[in-house]
Amino acid sequence: MYYKVSGVTGKLTGASAASAYSPQGLKPAVPSQSPPMIFALPTKVVSEAGPAVHYMGINKVPDLQKIFQKADGAPVHLKRGVMDKMLYRTTMGLTIGGTLYCLMALYIAAQPRKPQ
Amino acid sequence: MAHQAHAYHMVDPSPWPLTGAVGALLLTSGLAIWFHFHSITLMTLGLMLLFLTMYQWWRDIIREGTFQGHHTPPVQKGLRYGMILFITSEVFFFLGFFWAFYHSSLAPTPELGGCWPPTGVTTLDPFEVPLLNTAVLLASGVTVTWAHHSLMENNRKQAIQSLTLTILLGLYFTTLQATEYYEAPFTIADGVYGSTFFVATGFHGLHVIIGSSFLAICLLRQIQYHFTSEHHFGFEAAAWYWHFVDVVWLFLYVSIYWWGS
Repeated sequence: MYYKVSGVTGKLTGASAASAYSPQGLKPAVPSQSPPMIFALPTKVVSEAGPAVHYMGINKVPDLQKIFQKADGAPVHLKRGVMDKMLYRTTMGLTIGGTLYCLMALYIAAQPRKPQ
Repeated sequence: MAHQAHAYHMVDPSPWPLTGAVGALLLTSGLAIWFHFHSITLMTLGLMLLFLTMYQWWRDIIREGTFQGHHTPPVQKGLRYGMILFITSEVFFFLGFFWAFYHSSLAPTPELGGCWPPTGVTTLDPFEVPLLNTAVLLASGVTVTWAHHSLMENNRKQAIQSLTLTILLGLYFTTLQATEYYEAPFTIADGVYGSTFFVATGFHGLHVIIGSSFLAICLLRQIQYHFTSEHHFGFEAAAWYWHFVDVVWLFLYVSIYWWGS
């Protein structure tokens, strides 16, 4: 049995006598040693990524991180100021108003209907 | 920010559980009012409140994780458990409808003609649009995996492209299923065949829409650089949910469309 290093997997595999007599080490195309296995590429940092970085907009996350980590004591749902406050007040308004409307509607619905 | 001697996340007080609960109250009461008094005001109010709650609650989670760094490894582990448990509960939800289908179809009553499909029901050909739908969802499973690998290899452009393709396939499925519903020769009122068919496939379609929406949010977040090659649990959760939706379809296709025809 003759052996060679497979050009596909980089591992030892069977070979014919013909290929055994023309060693792979002499052929520059096929490496005699298997290339190092790469299981995961190291995390690429965006700042090192080069011109491809600006595909569909720039990274605003660091600026947002600064805004949200300001030590102003605001809870996360109000951290961004006016817009957050408006949305919160609208939601709370609908909540309280809706509860009252619901209780009223259920009270009316529970009244017996007068026969026609 | 105060310094904590642990890696867990003590959340800020939040109004969204209350607004969500009230939203659910308004939606359910609104349904009853709609059925009996023909007014949709309460129900619409409930839906609006639920959407506002979902938007703000999930927006806050993104703020806490991506911008404030609260999603440490133990916190992420908890989020993973949470998503797995939620999907498991959804599996049980669908199990009920499959139970209903098999209960009626394995022992068809005399009222149906003692056979399945029942007498008079023209079923859909499983090798036409339903088979296309199967191919579409399976393909979307491939594209979402492609998106995940692109994310892990920090290939921004391909991650965006494959995620977009996944969403488009999901929308294509929804469109195809909508036309099937429109063209079907039977309705939900056509005995237990119609009931089991439309309730099971209908809830599945709703889950496809939810899954597509989740993936769309992930696409927006990916464009805005929220995900890193090591930390992108929001995307993983969306991908898990999408695979679940795909698997449910495969069971629906084999049971209701194919065996049931």
